[in-house]
Amino acid sequence: MDMSQYRGLFLSETREHINNLNQLVVTLEQKPGNRETIDALFREAHSIKGMAATMGFDRTAQLSHHLEDLLDGFRDSGEVPSSTVDYLLAGIDLLDGLLDDLQSNQSERSIDVFLAETPHGKPIQVAETPKDNQGECSLAAAIEQEPEASTVVVEANVFQVLVDLAEDTPASAARGILILRELEKSGVLMSSKPDLSTLRSGAPCQQIHAWLRTSLNRMLIEEALLRISGVVKVRFIDDRRIQEGGDRDEGTHTIRVRTDLLDQFVNLSGELITNRYLLNTATAGRDWNQLTQTLSQTSRLIDDLYHHVLQARLMPLENITGRLPRIVRDLSRKTGKKVTLHLTGGEVGIDRAILEEVTAPLVHLVRNAVDHGIEKEGIVAVSALREKDLVLIEVADNGKGMDPEPLRQKAVDRGLLTSPQATALSDRDALMLVCQPGFSTAEEITEISGRGVGMDVVKAAVSKLGGTLEILSSPGQGSRFQMRLPLSIAIIKILLVNCAGQPLAMPISRVQRTLDLPTSEIRNSGQKRVFRLGEEVVNLYSLAEALGLPEVAAGETTWVVLIEIQGRRVGLQVDRFLGQREAFVKSLGFPLNLLTGLSGATVEGDGQVVFIIDPQSLIEDGQLFTNDCPGEFDALS
Amino acid sequence: MALRVMVVDDALFMRNMLKDIFVHAGFEVVAEADNGEVALGLYQETRPDLVTMDIVMPKKSGIEALQEIMASDPDACVVMVSALGQDSLVLEAVEAGAKDFIVKPFKQGNVLEIVRRITG
Repeated sequence: MDMSQYRGLFLSETREHINNLNQLVVTLEQKPGNRETIDALFREAHSIKGMAATMGFDRTAQLSHHLEDLLDGFRDSGEVPSSTVDYLLAGIDLLDGLLDDLQSNQSERSIDVFLAETPHGKPIQVAETPKDNQGECSLAAAIEQEPEASTVVVEANVFQVLVDLAEDTPASAARGILILRELEKSGVLMSSKPDLSTLRSGAPCQQIHAWLRTSLNRMLIEEALLRISGVVKVRFIDDRRIQEGGDRDEGTHTIRVRTDLLDQFVNLSGELITNRYLLNTATAGRDWNQLTQTLSQTSRLIDDLYHHVLQARLMPLENITGRLPRIVRDLSRKTGKKVTLHLTGGEVGIDRAILEEVTAPLVHLVRNAVDHGIEKEGIVAVSALREKDLVLIEVADNGKGMDPEPLRQKAVDRGLLTSPQATALSDRDALMLVCQPGFSTAEEITEISGRGVGMDVVKAAVSKLGGTLEILSSPGQGSRFQMRLPLSIAIIKILLVNCAGQPLAMPISRVQRTLDLPTSEIRNSGQKRVFRLGEEVVNLYSLAEALGLPEVAAGETTWVVLIEIQGRRVGLQVDRFLGQREAFVKSLGFPLNLLTGLSGATVEGDGQVVFIIDPQSLIEDGQLFTNDCPGEFDALS
Repeated sequence: MALRVMVVDDALFMRNMLKDIFVHAGFEVVAEADNGEVALGLYQETRPDLVTMDIVMPKKSGIEALQEIMASDPDACVVMVSALGQDSLVLEAVEAGAKDFIVKPFKQGNVLEIVRRITG
């Protein structure tokens, strides 16, 4: 029998069981003698064993069997000794790791070291494990990863990593080798430009472009790379080309759909087929009334179908919040704080694709709340609720809160804002300063901002999904981090503009507002063009220039799209606004997907393909953007 | 426990400067040597957590000393200290197992950043 067809289902179901195991162990730690929990744990391990054995995944089966035996023993004694909890958790992590291996089509890592240990941590015998395959991972290594690494594992993905070195980096080839070594620690380094042998020959290097297969979170990798002397910038690009071309399994995901929803699909398809005949008849008879009526019916049916398809893609948020109790438990232990986690809204549904992308930011916010929000003891509450077409996910803590004043001061010290600009900033905007790249560093975090490491990455991830991030906090009142996310990413609202004679689109979520400025209000400041917006002086860039298109001189009115880059408002000059509408976004295939600044394409009613640009990365990557203050308007000539 | 460091450099000035940086950061300087040969003996004796190793030194160069230390202790944590323009020597050292390198003239902050990164 061909078992491969069940592989996807096995993987997704086993992940759920692992999720449950983690939650149950945390529950058990609080109530060690709870018979029901022990029974439930036993059943979870038992289920994994049965499935893995059927699939022929020997090590996964063997490990779950081992855990099952252990738990069976506790069923007899009626209690799980507290000293065993860590051992159980390490075993669950190892199971998770085995699943990662299977998911990325690698052979299962070794479990010998784990099996040789007793629950109390001392090896029964000195186990000389042969280093047989590359996926090997000892228990020691599995524990060492705790809690930073293994808790934020998403799944093995191929990333392109771009690491920029400072221009004057001495011995840059040697530096490059150290960067490759660091990358090798984070996963499987598939290839790089320049490669190791080029670097060995001493060729100077300004940038390393690496293809990395890893299950680690990007933020961790970025953090490690930025710690290397001379590294000034780290960027990631999803490598869809390799994922699609290399292994089709990685691209397909399983999702469970209720049968009543499937019945709806059948009904709707049936009605659409009927409508097709009605349309045929109406066209043949040139019956315009009938045609108009049937068209409007068809349009309603299509809306309905779309709505139901979206429903089918929704997954309950508890798929990712399920791992939070374990993360909070590990963090509480590590920091010595007493933290209670409240979870609500786990049943709220969100598109599968968004759910995957929001995992890392959510985990990050929770870690931040425990690390920096809570002082000694407190509550972290993660809640979700549906707001019309959006899902609001909030991470709140009742810790010390954040003070906007020191943040303003710091922005001035860093040269990000001028003093009057900082004063003019609302408290709400001042809190958002922590989302600026490099605003806070680990050393300063406790004294000044209290927050900040990786918040820029969180914000970027949320905006990439077309969502928004908001921070509500005041000193002594705790903090609330709110992510508002769309239910689906396939259909978005776009702003259509004309640029050098071509229609182009940008997601409305990326746009703050549009302006039509009298051209006379635009001034030159050095190489740059600027204009005044209230009290603020805003840099103006040309979209045509950013795209390398011929520029069209503006008439009396200059059309400007206002966007935000790295926390600063920036104007983007276009030729004309064409309007707003909803668009079905198609992702770009290779090689178009390698172009920065393009996020997809959509097809107009007349069949014309319109590219959807990502204005932020277009301006940033085109290196047109400099994050310096435009200065005082009055001082400009 | 404080990080135990050995400083190897033929110039007393550089040794003192590095020592000051490390002591100020709360590390313990357990040994110092002015050439590669002395460094080898002291390494075996003191087994420091970290070695800073000048490259150009009399008797035995920093790279030779590094190679011998790595052969006897593959986990050794050695950071090379080089002058500007010694790129090929630095490259050789990194290939021989140096965990990182510091280029003179350096700032206190750079040295500690590099040390903290590799000693975790």
